[in-house]
Amino acid sequence: MPEIALKGVTKRFGKFVAVDSLDLTIADGDFVTLLGPSGCGKTTTLRMIAGLETPTEGEILIDGKTVFSSRTGVDISPDKRDVGFLFQNYALWPHMTVEQNISFGLENLKWDKARIKERVAGLLATLKIGEFGKRYPSELSGGQQQRVAIARTLATGPKVLFMDEPLSNLDAKLRTEMRTELKRLHLETDSTFVYVTHDQLEAMTLSTKTCLMRDGLLQQYAPPLHVYNNPANVFVADFVGSPTMNFIEGTGSNVNLDEIKIVVDGIDLMFTPVSGSITLRDDQQIVVGVRPEYIKIGAQGKVRAKVYSTLPSGMETIVRLSVGAQLLTAVVFGAIDFAVDQEVAMDFVEDRCVIFDKESGCNLALGRLGVV
Amino acid sequence: MTIANQARSFFRKPHNVILVILAVALSFLTLFPLLSLVRDSFVVHPSEVMTVKGAKVGELTFFHWRKVFASGLTSANMLYKPLWNTVKTSLGSCAIAILLGGSIAWLVTRSDLRWKSFISVVFIFPYIMPSWTLAMAWLNFFRNRLIGGAPGLFTALTGIETANWFAYGAFPIIVVQGLHYAPFAYILIGGILRNMDANLEEAATILKASRFKILRRITLPIVMPAVLSTFLLTFSSCMSAFAVPAFLGTPVRFNVLTTQLYRTLNGLNPGYGYILALVMIVIGTGILAVNQWFIGKRKSYTTITGKGSNISLVKLKALRTPVSLLVVVFLAAIAILPLVTFAVESFIMAPGNYSFSNLTTQFWIGPGRVDIGGGEPGILINKYVWLGLWNSIKLSVVVALMAGTVGGLAGYAISKARGTRLAALVNNLAFFPYLMPAMAFGAIYLSMFARPFLGLPSIYGTFALLVLVGAVKYLPFASRAGVNAMLQLSGEIEEAGVILGIPWRKRITRIIFPIQKASFLSGYLLPFISCMRELSLFVLLISPANRVLTTMLFQYNEKGWNQYANAINLIIIVVVLSFNTVINKVTGASIDKGIGG
Repeated sequence: MPEIALKGVTKRFGKFVAVDSLDLTIADGDFVTLLGPSGCGKTTTLRMIAGLETPTEGEILIDGKTVFSSRTGVDISPDKRDVGFLFQNYALWPHMTVEQNISFGLENLKWDKARIKERVAGLLATLKIGEFGKRYPSELSGGQQQRVAIARTLATGPKVLFMDEPLSNLDAKLRTEMRTELKRLHLETDSTFVYVTHDQLEAMTLSTKTCLMRDGLLQQYAPPLHVYNNPANVFVADFVGSPTMNFIEGTGSNVNLDEIKIVVDGIDLMFTPVSGSITLRDDQQIVVGVRPEYIKIGAQGKVRAKVYSTLPSGMETIVRLSVGAQLLTAVVFGAIDFAVDQEVAMDFVEDRCVIFDKESGCNLALGRLGVV
Repeated sequence: MTIANQARSFFRKPHNVILVILAVALSFLTLFPLLSLVRDSFVVHPSEVMTVKGAKVGELTFFHWRKVFASGLTSANMLYKPLWNTVKTSLGSCAIAILLGGSIAWLVTRSDLRWKSFISVVFIFPYIMPSWTLAMAWLNFFRNRLIGGAPGLFTALTGIETANWFAYGAFPIIVVQGLHYAPFAYILIGGILRNMDANLEEAATILKASRFKILRRITLPIVMPAVLSTFLLTFSSCMSAFAVPAFLGTPVRFNVLTTQLYRTLNGLNPGYGYILALVMIVIGTGILAVNQWFIGKRKSYTTITGKGSNISLVKLKALRTPVSLLVVVFLAAIAILPLVTFAVESFIMAPGNYSFSNLTTQFWIGPGRVDIGGGEPGILINKYVWLGLWNSIKLSVVVALMAGTVGGLAGYAISKARGTRLAALVNNLAFFPYLMPAMAFGAIYLSMFARPFLGLPSIYGTFALLVLVGAVKYLPFASRAGVNAMLQLSGEIEEAGVILGIPWRKRITRIIFPIQKASFLSGYLLPFISCMRELSLFVLLISPANRVLTTMLFQYNEKGWNQYANAINLIIIVVVLSFNTVINKVTGASIDKGIGG
């Protein structure tokens, strides 16, 4: 069964380094998302694994077989790598009908006509586009085109499926619907999915493992909830989660055995690590990361805050609070409409706050945050 | 609202004023001449009094129509044979242009061919150069003794006498026109290939289709509409070409419609000529109509652009260097070698003798000698040549200013009033001159302005007529550029100015024009360069006082003064190429970005 391994894969376009010595192993049956802002090298990585792009250096193995190696000069063409590829713009052939689009790959495999017909009909039914078989792609809506593209990719039954931002051209409602179906498809087809996206929500909801990249460098490769709760650095913490994490900058120092006192402009905070004690340098500049859901607003609370704005969306309410010189974001379940400039009390809860080293951005510890 | 109020609010919008003025002016300058042309084909002309029995000048007659269409051998010689020759040579030229241009487009966009930037620059040369360039080069190389005169370089170098069919007539016309329009095909097909979403081909690769199968099942069907469009545009350009068949066909009396038109209009039977012009206009309009219909069809796909940047190129492997070399050598032969032959030909004393001792600067700077070329001095000290060059530049500048300005305003007004019937009318009227073969267009203006009418004096033989015909003929280039420029500009840009109370003239000159400078400028530059190298449009209308370089070249060639012709041709090419290069460097516009011609 296929396992994909990248070893020291680098891609340079002239002087620009798109992907910088990437090591990555994608296990069989995984649903891996390559996540990052545009230009981080995620699409290039995907295209290199598929064989559409030639790496400058490194080695790629699919199912234990070397498909590319800059050392030995092996470079197996995409059609011999036994993969499927779903393109961002679907890449449906405009001069072929839906049926012809889907059957093209099967013809190349020299299937006989009856079998092709049966397979195409089956796929059309599975993807609920049965009535569009004779239409041309330009006569379909975006969502229907998307389904045709998926059917075309699945037709040959590839064990590895690559997807390059397949949902980014759909409207929000359709996107949610397709997400559900992609997740089911992953289980039903029992194949390995590698999925490129810049939408952290997609990565969070779909994948078994998320590979976060920035400027061609791997930032963190872990299951999405692990990335969410224990981000490797400030960049990852900031990129994942919506609304984004609160970052409070201050100067830290070790006090009382393993506690850390953080002096912030306006308030003094006390951080109790739960992931093991750490030792700081003298007057180390640190950044405290607090997810919005770990700020609790209520009648009781140690911190006085002023409501800066309230954004109720029905199910939840995003509240911006000003605390001293800081502007913090909190999320409250349910719709609560605070008045602007209303005085409230707040507290930090749970032991999942993170402190980062300001200079390197690295995660130092997870822990509980309190106010002195 | 009363009608008066409606009219007032209609005319308060500047674009409506422009549209109304243009609708009237263009009807007068394009539709009216067409009617006048039809009328002239039914009228007895002064020179025809002897041929049309018992008729007086100005009388209505079916004589011309009968003679041209239904008079056995006369009709065959007059219309059917030249028509067949036109179709034959145009089809052949199209085939060569598309095969050659398409192959090179594929090699440049889809394979790892070497020296691509050099190839794509030099390949455009034959298209920028005047169309007869290659025809003259062909003659310089392959002319033979059979029709008198000295043999060409090929015979001089190898001693082999070229056959007539090879040196003159259909074969060289097809080859030369094919080569001239190959860059045009390359530009159109290459543009589609470059913009075609690379993912479409990659999707097929992933699904295990072979390279050949991808080309056959995916790439070709998708570029097919562009190829067809290229075919139709090339065909109509070939059909209206005059210079090439005039240079290569005339020596063996190989006539096509345009040369026939020139003969009849310059001869005693202009009535025949006007009918031939009508035939060409009908064919030209028909072809463009087919093209429009085709573009609008269900299976045509203009919106296939994607990020075509990172396509994986086909590796030519062992063939890479040989193929690249072959292409480069070929390009040198069709783009650079002709220039060398013009230089060589212009420096030799006795034609056909290419020995070193036969070289002379007589035809460039020598004083006139009675025994050579009727005593004409060398072209650099010949005041008529300088006058011709001055006329060419003056004409091109004035034409460009008029066409560019009117076209730009037309583009503005058409896009502002998009969707209205008036805008559609003006759009079609402004495009109409493009459908008309240049010489037929010249014939129309000849027929219309050869006599005083509507109180206006006859302007035949004046510079003003040349300016008028040029400005109208090249209006489509400018109005197209103007419409494109305006379509890329959102309406809010101008509306923001309206809200701030900025007057219309200031909005145009300070907001709209500066933003879309490059596009509007190309509306000035395309007419300029086209005008510099135009022959067939002016050849019927020129008088000795306002000769331009191209018609002088044609006259020298007709007289058989080969050295002068070559020297003048070299000057034209240098002027056109250098203007195009400078303009391209400064503004990004270039003749090869135009709509063909």
